[in-house]
Amino acid sequence: MGYLKDLMPSMLSGTMETMKIFIITLVLSLPLGIVLGVLRKSKIKLLARILEVYILIMRGTPLMLQIVFIFFGLPVIGISLDRYVAVLIAFVLNYTAYFGEIFRGGIDTIDKGQYEAAKVLGFNKYKTFTKIIFPQVFKNVLPSLSNEVITLVKDTSLVYIVGIGELLRAGKIASNRDASLVPLVLVGFIYLCITWVLTILLNKLEEKYAYYE
Amino acid sequence: MKKLLIALSLSMVLLVGCGEKKEGDKTAEIYEKGTIVMGVDDTFAPMGFRDNNGNLVGFDVDLANELSKELGKKIDIQPIDWSMKETELNSGNIDLIWNGYSVTKAREEKVNFSDVYLENKQIIVTLDENIKSKADLKDKKVAVQNGSSTLDAINKEPEVVQGFSGGEPVLFDTNNEAFLDLESGRSDAVVADEVLAKYYIRQKNSDKYRVLDDNFGEEVYAIGMRKGDKQLLEDINKGLSSLRENGKYDEIYDKWFKD
Repeated sequence: MGYLKDLMPSMLSGTMETMKIFIITLVLSLPLGIVLGVLRKSKIKLLARILEVYILIMRGTPLMLQIVFIFFGLPVIGISLDRYVAVLIAFVLNYTAYFGEIFRGGIDTIDKGQYEAAKVLGFNKYKTFTKIIFPQVFKNVLPSLSNEVITLVKDTSLVYIVGIGELLRAGKIASNRDASLVPLVLVGFIYLCITWVLTILLNKLEEKYAYYE
Repeated sequence: MKKLLIALSLSMVLLVGCGEKKEGDKTAEIYEKGTIVMGVDDTFAPMGFRDNNGNLVGFDVDLANELSKELGKKIDIQPIDWSMKETELNSGNIDLIWNGYSVTKAREEKVNFSDVYLENKQIIVTLDENIKSKADLKDKKVAVQNGSSTLDAINKEPEVVQGFSGGEPVLFDTNNEAFLDLESGRSDAVVADEVLAKYYIRQKNSDKYRVLDDNFGEEVYAIGMRKGDKQLLEDINKGLSSLRENGKYDEIYDKWFKD
C-alpha cells in the first residue's frame, strides 16, 4: 500500500497528460468531424474527392506514423512544430477522419423525404440540418461515437514516440526503475477507471437521446 | 484516384530526397541559444529515469549536471523515444544523445561520439548453480532483451547461440521481463547489460542471483553528437576529462554503481 502511495504522484501527472491530449483532441475533432461528414456530401466534385483522399490517408496509415511524419518529417520542408502541437495536429486530423465517416454514415440514414418535408414547411438548408437532420443523426451514431471515444483514451499512449510523458510511459518508467510489474497493473487500473467513467457518461447521454423508446 | 495516388507517391519521393541535410557546425548557434539539449530515454534506469516525484535522475543525468557546471552552459533534458534518437538529433530537436548510448560501427557512421565515459559488458545471470560458464548454457533457455546491444553481442557467437535450447535466445521487450521469466523458472539464464543487470539485482535486494565470470564481450558508452558540431565535441571531451581529474566522476560512479 505504501508503495502504491509512492507511485501516485508520477502516475497522476501521467494521467493528467493523457487526459489533456484526450480532451483537446475530442473537443476539436468532434465538431470538425460533423463538418467533414456534411462536406463529404458536397456537390463540389473536387472538394468531395480531396476529402475522400484525406480520409483514405488518415484511416489507411497508422496514427503513430502520422505523428512521426508531422513531428519529424515536416521540419524537412521547413515546418517545425512543438512536440505538443505536432501530436495534437496528428490526433485531431486522424480522429476527425473517423468521426467524419461516422457522421456521414449517420446522415446517409436520414430519409430523403424529410428534406422534402422540411422544404415544404419553409425551413432553409441550415435550419433543416440543425433542427431536423442533425438531432436524429447524433442519436443514431452515438454508439459508434462512444466506441471511438474510448479507443481515443487508449490511443493517447502513442505520444510516447515524441517523448511526451503520458500515463503508460509513467508506468514503464516506474516499472523499469523498481524492477516490478506493479506500476503497470496500476496503469491498467487507471485506464480502466477512465473508460469506466466515460462509459457511464456516454450511456447517460444515450438514455437522454432515447426519446422514442 | 489513381492520379492522386501517383501524385502522392511523387511528393513522398521528393520529401525523402530533401531529407539529406547539410552539415555545418551548429555549436555557435547552440551556445547563442544558451542551452544544450540532451535527449534521454527516461525509462532507462539507472542511466536516466524518473524518481517517484517525476524528477529526472540517474548516472547520466548527474554527470550531465556536473558537465554543465564545467562548461558554464545550461544543459536541458528532453525525454525522447529511444527508437527516434538519431532522428531527433538530426532534426535539431536535441544536441546530444546521452543515455547509455553504446558505441557501435553503424552508429559511428551517423553520429560523432565523445570520449568513452563508461565501460560495460554483457554478463550472464542465472539462478541455477549448475551453470558455471558459457559452455553450460548448452540446451538451456536464455532470455535476452529484443533490439538491445546484448542481442548483437551474443549473435557474434553463433556457435554458442545455436547451442541454446531452441537454437535461439528467448526475446523480451524489456530486461525487466527477461528477469521475470528467469525468476518464474521458464528461462535458465539472462544475458544483459552489466549496468542494467546490476541495477536490477540491487533493486531486488537478493543474493540468489549468480553472475558468471564469462561474458559476451564488452562495450563502451559515449555521448552522441551531430557530425558537424566539432566545437561542441571538443568542449564536451574537455569537460569530461576535467570531471575525471577533479574526482566528480568517481563520486557519481560510486553513487550509482558501487556494489
